[in-house]
Amino acid sequence: MDILTPDLVPGMLANGATTRVDVDAPLRFKVGDEIVVRNLNPTGHTRLPRYLRGKRGVVEHAHGVFIFPDTHAHHKGEKPQHVYGVRFSMIELWGDGASPRDCCIVDVFDDYMDPL
Amino acid sequence: MNGIHDLGGMHGFGPIDIDPEQPLFRNDWERRVFALFFGCAPHGFFNLDEFRHAVERMDAAEYLELSYYEHWLHAYETLLVGNGAITAEEYATRCAEIAQEAG
Repeated sequence: MDILTPDLVPGMLANGATTRVDVDAPLRFKVGDEIVVRNLNPTGHTRLPRYLRGKRGVVEHAHGVFIFPDTHAHHKGEKPQHVYGVRFSMIELWGDGASPRDCCIVDVFDDYMDPL
Repeated sequence: MNGIHDLGGMHGFGPIDIDPEQPLFRNDWERRVFALFFGCAPHGFFNLDEFRHAVERMDAAEYLELSYYEHWLHAYETLLVGNGAITAEEYATRCAEIAQEAG
């Protein structure tokens, strides 16, 4: 077990205890791809916000590979996978009353998405 | 889980405080609660994701009434007692000692 020493602290604070990992995982989507978010209702941990379920978006960024929180929180493995920055229009998220000019970019794990 | 923490899009919580001058910590004890994460998580007492999930599993009404770092403290109590790092009795005893020292 590592000992926490003062010299380690600035790095931890700077990277926010990142869960980025240096392993290969299938890159299922590329920038510009249209996707739809799965309608997931797990009883355990997830980083998928409720308001994204079933919504359609466009991949804006591929952030790299990260530990999958939904399994890791329950000691069911790291299941490393890509995380994408996905753009959703405000009308898609909140309906016709939302501003047609605005959008929201959300970081979405590979397991949460299907191709449209 | 469909928990109380997943507040995106909900109404009725008032304006978001976006004051860039707001203090990092509003009370001195919050500094210790923050630091305790780095004293626990990198050493295998729990991981970041189960820490978040411990907050999510809080009683919904309690979650809304407590502050951000009180959520963190709740997670430490749940996880460290839950995984046997400390016992509930040890924790209660030490809390009582501190309360007595503080008068």
